[in-house]
Amino acid sequence: MAAGTVSTVRTEKPRSALALPVIILAFLAAMFVWMGFTQFLNALTLGAVYALVALGYTMVYGIIELINFAHGDVFMVATFVTMFVSGTILNQKEGIYGIPQLILSLVIVFAVTISIMAIIGAVIERFAYRPLRRAPKLAPLITAIGVSFILQNIIQYLVGPYTYNVPQLFPVDWAVMVGETRVPFLNIFVITVAVSLMALLQLFISRTRTGKAMRTTSMDRDASSLMGVNIDRTIMITFLIGSGLAGAAGVIHGLYYGNTNFQVGFQSGLKAFTAAVLGGIGNTAGAALGGFIIAFVEVGAVVLGFSRWGGAVVFSLLVIFLVFRPTGLLGSHTGDRA
Amino acid sequence: MSRLKLPAPLAALRARMRRHFGAHRTQGVIFAILVIGIALPLLSRVPPFGQLQSINAWTNAFTIAAIYAILAIGLNVVIGFAGLLDLGYAAFFALGGYTYAIVASPFFGIHIPFWPMLIFGAIIGAIFGILLGAPTLRLRGDYLAIVTLGFGEIVPITLLNADKFTAGTIGIGGIDKPQIPGIVEFTLINPWPFYVLIMLMLMLVTVAVFRLEDSKIGRAWEAIREDELAAESSGINTVISKLQAFAVGAAIAGFAGVFNAAKLTIVSPGQFGFVVSVSTLSAVVLGGMGNVVGVGAGAFVIYLIQSIFLKQLNILVSQLGIPILGDIDFLQFQYVLYGVVLVIMMLKRPQGIYPARRRMRTFADSKETAK
Amino acid sequence: MKVFNKKGFAALAAVAILAAACGGSTGGKTLTIGISLPLSGSALASAGPAQNGAELAVSEATIDGYTLAVKVLDHAVNGAHDPAQAAADMTTLVGDETVVAVVGPFNSGSAKAQIPVSSEAGLLQCSPSNTNPDLTKGDAGAALRAGRPVNYIRVATTDDIQGPAVAAYAFSQGKKSVFIVDDTEVYGKGIADAFAAKFVELGGTVVGREAADKTVTDFSAIVAKAAATNPDSFFYGGVTSSGAGLVRKAMIQAGLNVPYYGGDGIQDGNGDGSYIAVAGDASADSYSSVAAIHDIPAAADFAAKYKAKFGEDPGSYSASGYACAQIIIEAIKAAIAGGEVTRETVRAAAVMAGATYDTVLGPVGFDENGDTTQKIISLYKVENGDWVFDAQIDYAAQ
Repeated sequence: MAAGTVSTVRTEKPRSALALPVIILAFLAAMFVWMGFTQFLNALTLGAVYALVALGYTMVYGIIELINFAHGDVFMVATFVTMFVSGTILNQKEGIYGIPQLILSLVIVFAVTISIMAIIGAVIERFAYRPLRRAPKLAPLITAIGVSFILQNIIQYLVGPYTYNVPQLFPVDWAVMVGETRVPFLNIFVITVAVSLMALLQLFISRTRTGKAMRTTSMDRDASSLMGVNIDRTIMITFLIGSGLAGAAGVIHGLYYGNTNFQVGFQSGLKAFTAAVLGGIGNTAGAALGGFIIAFVEVGAVVLGFSRWGGAVVFSLLVIFLVFRPTGLLGSHTGDRA
Repeated sequence: MSRLKLPAPLAALRARMRRHFGAHRTQGVIFAILVIGIALPLLSRVPPFGQLQSINAWTNAFTIAAIYAILAIGLNVVIGFAGLLDLGYAAFFALGGYTYAIVASPFFGIHIPFWPMLIFGAIIGAIFGILLGAPTLRLRGDYLAIVTLGFGEIVPITLLNADKFTAGTIGIGGIDKPQIPGIVEFTLINPWPFYVLIMLMLMLVTVAVFRLEDSKIGRAWEAIREDELAAESSGINTVISKLQAFAVGAAIAGFAGVFNAAKLTIVSPGQFGFVVSVSTLSAVVLGGMGNVVGVGAGAFVIYLIQSIFLKQLNILVSQLGIPILGDIDFLQFQYVLYGVVLVIMMLKRPQGIYPARRRMRTFADSKETAK
Repeated sequence: MKVFNKKGFAALAAVAILAAACGGSTGGKTLTIGISLPLSGSALASAGPAQNGAELAVSEATIDGYTLAVKVLDHAVNGAHDPAQAAADMTTLVGDETVVAVVGPFNSGSAKAQIPVSSEAGLLQCSPSNTNPDLTKGDAGAALRAGRPVNYIRVATTDDIQGPAVAAYAFSQGKKSVFIVDDTEVYGKGIADAFAAKFVELGGTVVGREAADKTVTDFSAIVAKAAATNPDSFFYGGVTSSGAGLVRKAMIQAGLNVPYYGGDGIQDGNGDGSYIAVAGDASADSYSSVAAIHDIPAAADFAAKYKAKFGEDPGSYSASGYACAQIIIEAIKAAIAGGEVTRETVRAAAVMAGATYDTVLGPVGFDENGDTTQKIISLYKVENGDWVFDAQIDYAAQ
């Protein structure tokens, strides 16, 4: 974090502000026509999970320039917390068909999981990363890898090494037929929740005092500190929010797939990170966009019959973007070479 | 580190050796590895170790540990010397192994001897290192880590799916062993020839790396690691210099990969996952980034703990039938071993357990600025 | 570094002293049977029962003038079998002069790494569960043992019989079109290939084929693609830990309600992490095979003995592990009868042409490649949350 270097300011050019929605809509329309409604919906749902996880990566990176390697595993822990809350505490095994009970249960699961994960994220920050804030850059990155392994091992030790069922509280068989196509409500619900959370986050960052503090801290930590921003507090809030969003992603993962195991965090995390890079790391809107693009790439690979190469395609995309356009699609924060 | 009080003649000998090897580091390394190479098998006959497993099994374990040590020393060039984090190091190890497997197995019916391939494997590693490094080394350090991580994921997937050339998921089996006709026969049941060979390879790599460290190239790496901007303004071409580090690291991995393939007689994509990269990284971190001797020792410690100590603990506990301990599977702690090593070392002793003098300075400086 | 070593030494020394204090019993020359399986993490669920079976057989056997012992080595690394560690463990067993034969490994990938080592040592090795044909047959098999006599035998029938057996089974249930997904691994891809070939040969159609490795958890796109092809059945080549249960769950969730077929990789009981546990209610209408006899003679007796010793019912490969150990013990006895017990005499006795062993699986012999002559495939279906035996087909006669 070389204080003297100027980061590019994160306002977008006026032209792209209008062009972007048009491009996105055109992209979605093209995908819809090409892969058909069912696969389109699958991609959007998968994208919602990636996007929520990607937000955590991008926010943390934006503010302390740390690739929080353990973030994928925070998401993994969230899937287990979801399993515990809905299975053990609420004592549910499957879909709840009574609407009031369903709403109440969902609110509890989301609230509890998000809170627990937010706290866990903040604790990790406090004990694993904060002591290294001024250390050489490799140090916190290596620590993050270590934290990732430790989280996996804790879950493996506490729960076990197998794949476990997460109760799918939202009934999976609620659907409506549109012509020949079946539209499951679960997918619609998942996408709605995810998009709402992302919109809330955008509002929070752009409208609140804390959001403003987060933005200034990511631009220049020392200057913000001089202006009266409490840096430690701001960074901790960033971790709270990022991990909370991973918590929400964990709940969604549980509701949608109904399964989890201690290794789901690594690959999903890597893909979510790719999403964050794709969108322009440090840029929250970009991370969300990137999440959906990665999902479309993966589903597209299946549609084309390249399912064997799915992972390689995503990681090639990661390498290509980092090499040729490290600022990502929405370009923010070209960043200094600290 | 406390110093033992030695009798006068021994102390004098020590002083003389220190002076001599201080001036001739290459000789020192050769001497040290010779001593270690002879001492390890002897040590494994000493009662506590001798009872754990047979001497051949120990020798075999030391051979594998030495492969990891070479990997750690190679990764150390990239991380410790040049300060670039490479998270896909296993990919170069894989490329070396597959290079040899393809030209020395019944799969294509080609049988090129081991010895030239040992060098060629290193060259292949270096070529891929340059191919990956050239476009990516301009990136900032943490982006580079992710690119290498992605590369580390792509290589096994490619090896898996390019089954015309790699036999896909089954892997290439029946790989030729090294041959020295009439002198020694390399077999899988007699670990000694492989042990001697890997110790010689370890010697070669260590000497080469020490020489590099002391050369102009090594000083450029150190300068970049400490302050890239300053290095650049003093006329060091940082991209070329980083590329050199990357290529040397990759070449060492390819070199070790050829040996590994010949020893295991099979390569398959599953052998080269992220875990290999992380365990190598753990060894480097444990030994102290930048410290050649330390990372080699770190690799030995990590490998021997995970593959012998934890395993023996399992066997022992199940034999004793202790009720609660019996339910614990100590082998499961391999994962946490890496994690704990990485976190604790970074937080408490980032310079490594036995730090190199140069690196101590780095971390001391950063500590001061923190205050 | 010094500090670290001292601690390590102290701990190791403590371990060794304890080990010496509780060393094995004496009574004649010790003959050790190695057990080399992946026994930690998620691998334990499938391989553990085979270990128990083998240990049960050894504990029951007595040979006059000798003490039988077992030496168990776990080659799972981070919860999955690891070929490199499997090879290292085989070297360990080879280095122990008292080891005369080995039960294991469990996975084909590990077998590929172990066979070259055991073959050079001439050490008899019996796998309870390997089914990949390339381990023994054809050029691939010959390359693994490098022209030396057969030392690797197995009691499970190969996938070139198992895969087609499942295809014939599906076809006999009136299935004409199938969508296939494999997990890209040795076993999964192999059995899926064998299944597909036979299904087509019988007159069925493979309407689509996709693959997803074990890191994939989102199968919705693959399942949607399958649903679009309107198959009347679905085949998964792979094991539960690669995602067999996840695929089934995604199928039902997407409304693709057709029968699901798989090999022995999904027949893993109904405990934690099993196919049935992962898929839950969606596991209904699933069918699988086991490359071994189901109607074992004296099944009830075996189950009772097993339960008495381990407190649980036998798993899919318990009887196979037991049979491996039985065959090894019989071979040792034959070697003793022939004069002396060495690795070579034990190996030669086991693979002797025409030799038949009376095992818990029934009579078992080995062909010139070391494959079992008992080519029986058992077929199962899920009923009320558990695998229920449906039929067994003897391919030796066909």
